[in-house]
Amino acid sequence: MARDLSFLFPELLLAFTVVLMLVAEMLRAPRLALTFGLIGLGLSTALTLPLLEADTSVFGGTYRVDLLSGWAKLILLPGTALALLMTRAEIAGKDREGSVYTLLCLVTLGALMLAGGGDMMLLVLGVVLTGLGSFAMVAWPRDDAATEAAMKYLVFGAVTGSVMIYGLTFWFGGAGSTLFSELGALQSKPLIALAGLVAVLIGLGYKAALVPFQFWAPDAYDGAPVSVAAFLSVITKVAAIFAFAQVLRDLPVATGWPVVVALIAAVTMSFGYLAALVQSNVVRLLAYSSVAQAGYFMLGIVALGTSPLALPSVIVFGAAYVAMNLGAFAVIMIAGRNLDDFKGFGRARPLIGVAMVVFLLSLTGIPPLFGFVGKVLLFGAAIEAGYLWLAVIGILNSVLALAVYLRIVVPMYQARDGEAVRAEVALPLLVVLGATALVTALMGLFAGVFPG
Amino acid sequence: MPLLSISVFLPLLGGVLLMALPNKSARIAHGVSIATTGLTFVVTLAIWARGTLPGGFAQVEEIAWIPAIGAAFRVGVDGLSLPLILLTSLLFFLSAIYAARITDRPAVFVALMLMLETASIGTFAALDALLFYVFFEVSLVGMYFMIVGWGYEERQRAGLMFFIYTLLGSLPLLLAIIGLYLATGSFDMRLWIEAPPLTGLAAMLALIAMLFTFAVKIPSFPVHTWLPAAHVQAPTVGSVILAGVMLKFGTYGLVRFALQMTPDAFAQAGRVVLAFGVFSALYGAFVALAQSDLKKMIAYTSVNHMGYVVIGVAVAALTLDPDLRAVALNGATLQMVSHGVVTGALFFLVGMLQSRAHEREMTAFGGLLGQVPWLGWAFVLSAFASLGLPGLAHFPAEFQIFLATLNAQPWAIVAIIAIVVTAGLYLRAIAAVFLGERNEKWAAMPDLDRGEMLAIVPLLVLIILIGVAPSWLLNMIDVTMRALQL
Repeated sequence: MARDLSFLFPELLLAFTVVLMLVAEMLRAPRLALTFGLIGLGLSTALTLPLLEADTSVFGGTYRVDLLSGWAKLILLPGTALALLMTRAEIAGKDREGSVYTLLCLVTLGALMLAGGGDMMLLVLGVVLTGLGSFAMVAWPRDDAATEAAMKYLVFGAVTGSVMIYGLTFWFGGAGSTLFSELGALQSKPLIALAGLVAVLIGLGYKAALVPFQFWAPDAYDGAPVSVAAFLSVITKVAAIFAFAQVLRDLPVATGWPVVVALIAAVTMSFGYLAALVQSNVVRLLAYSSVAQAGYFMLGIVALGTSPLALPSVIVFGAAYVAMNLGAFAVIMIAGRNLDDFKGFGRARPLIGVAMVVFLLSLTGIPPLFGFVGKVLLFGAAIEAGYLWLAVIGILNSVLALAVYLRIVVPMYQARDGEAVRAEVALPLLVVLGATALVTALMGLFAGVFPG
Repeated sequence: MPLLSISVFLPLLGGVLLMALPNKSARIAHGVSIATTGLTFVVTLAIWARGTLPGGFAQVEEIAWIPAIGAAFRVGVDGLSLPLILLTSLLFFLSAIYAARITDRPAVFVALMLMLETASIGTFAALDALLFYVFFEVSLVGMYFMIVGWGYEERQRAGLMFFIYTLLGSLPLLLAIIGLYLATGSFDMRLWIEAPPLTGLAAMLALIAMLFTFAVKIPSFPVHTWLPAAHVQAPTVGSVILAGVMLKFGTYGLVRFALQMTPDAFAQAGRVVLAFGVFSALYGAFVALAQSDLKKMIAYTSVNHMGYVVIGVAVAALTLDPDLRAVALNGATLQMVSHGVVTGALFFLVGMLQSRAHEREMTAFGGLLGQVPWLGWAFVLSAFASLGLPGLAHFPAEFQIFLATLNAQPWAIVAIIAIVVTAGLYLRAIAAVFLGERNEKWAAMPDLDRGEMLAIVPLLVLIILIGVAPSWLLNMIDVTMRALQL
């Protein structure tokens, strides 16, 4: 017991932080809640470092402390801290401000459950924990758009969640255990394996916004505060992807799941970018773009069990995606939600303009930016696993991606009609921009620190 | 001293330094630009003085980058890359001198140009495929912003087309690189050249991917359509760099990657590549003949000249005689350098004409030779060089290419018709712009000033030097090409 708990220090600390934040919010001290959150996230990250080399599981194999869950903490905890700062810049001084901070950290706790879960029950717990907090955060502005978005999100989540739980019972019946590590027993039971697979694809596919479970994403992102949209588009998505990796690496390849995942990946990438191509609202554009990015993640998932590049590729791209997507959303908070707001933005604010170009080119996958390194590893994993056609589709979509992101870059350097209004940018936002831009621009050159 | 790494990163350093300066006036920006590119040129001269080795790469420098996947910062030179590196640093130096007249956001322009120089030298020097790809793509981004930021009327559309087209073009190369990597577990290009890792269908697929990438970059028919748009809309310096340096990425890759890393597949597909080369050469010449816009005309002659390079490389792949192969590759490599010098000069001159007249239509001019003799005679000399007149830069290159072609694949010699067509179109252009009746509209046009002279005269000297005595360049190329094992 003591041994098991010692491996859970980061998670326990985060849970404790959430409680403290809740108390601070009850005392109507949102700044205190924010401070607790930032300190808690920072300490949890630091506590993760000594556990990074561990490769074990705790509580009878239900929770894994391995490479994937270790890196999930290193990526998601700082990512959440940045999202907290963004939220602060957006909703400072508003009613129930501290609740949002608390919910952000609570959802991140759920995200860690997803990324480390080694058991079906824990998977369900993670899905529900991330879901409940997210619904509330989307509804936070209390206007029509937000309420509608949250409603959609909730209904969709409830349905997919129930389907997932139903489907998981097949795996439980087939394997005789709720542990993922026992899934090898399904080798000779393809139909049962398929039933559970479909359920997991629905439940986690909804979390990661894979096609065809992406409908909620643009509405939810657009209805929620921009910073919450940023958080949902990176933290819960990356957690869901890591959960995919935890589940599917134990499912025998012989059951044929990689083909199904590959098809979904191809459709997700293509649909995401095609839909993004016609958006005029930048939040929706990035929402569809993050649908497409989820498709790229699946290139690495497909290769699980067949290519040693699979896990590193998902981890590296996960880190890159968190940095560049958070950064792009932070720029939207400064520039505005409409494509027209970006006209002349690069001329009015040269430095932030350059940062946005870096984020968008990294999302496209232009070297030597961080996103490129992740994509190379993803393509490498897919090709090694024998999915050359999927890599080709990924590459064709990269061209489409460029067309999508240039729709933001091109107006940025056009002359603006009328005087540009230069509002002061809040300090927390500058911190977020600086951190994400540095990571996006330079981590590609220091990619050696990641596992390989 | 790691001279090669210095020459790669010195320009970037200059750009970063400039961005950090508090005072970014035009004077200071261009001062930094000329000093940095000049210094880089000197460093590349020192690299030249150190020389190359027969068979293999010289002056190799290596630093770990992503050890987990076997990617490292590896650079080195041989007789193929060194002439191109020299050409690059020279053209950037001259461009920096000429660009000193730019007053619209000069610091940003200079920073972009210096970033492009780092990417260009890096592309030629890289011995690590991932590093090569990084530099190859960074050059795209730099050129896109240069076209969009400082180009002419239709720059947005041209820039967009250039970026998307060439990104689509370069991604197949990434697939090929990943394929070669998975077969060896390293991104070291020397390993891939020493023992080509792929065979059979895999090699052919990799070759097709590479050929597609490099054909877009070269550009070869039928994927050349981005070139005229990008060239016409790009600012003068952009055109010079695009034509003089960046098109060479394609032909360099054709030799370095396609020919050296998948030699057997290339030999099988050689006839097809040759046919594309012949058609490109002819097509480029005939389409150029149909242009009345000077810049567009020169852009299309690039399609023609780069077609000869493709012919040379394809002939080298098809022939079994090592002497003949060396002749073909010597010709192809020299043609890359000659094209950089000659077309660089031509784009400079058209840019100078355009900045005076704001006009590129041939028919709008007339009798300018008496009005602006320096500009006129410089154009005449460069045009004669471009049409392949003996004694000027293109002649020794094209002569060797045709010599090898005639010996190995006689039918491909039909491409020589293109030389006649090019002669016709250049004579027509000279007649329309510089001879004939004087157009009074341009009576006040000034001749070249000192800055323009400084930019153009070194190129004119080189045109004659390469034409009359190419051996100083050819010897360096020949040492490598003779030792090439295919």
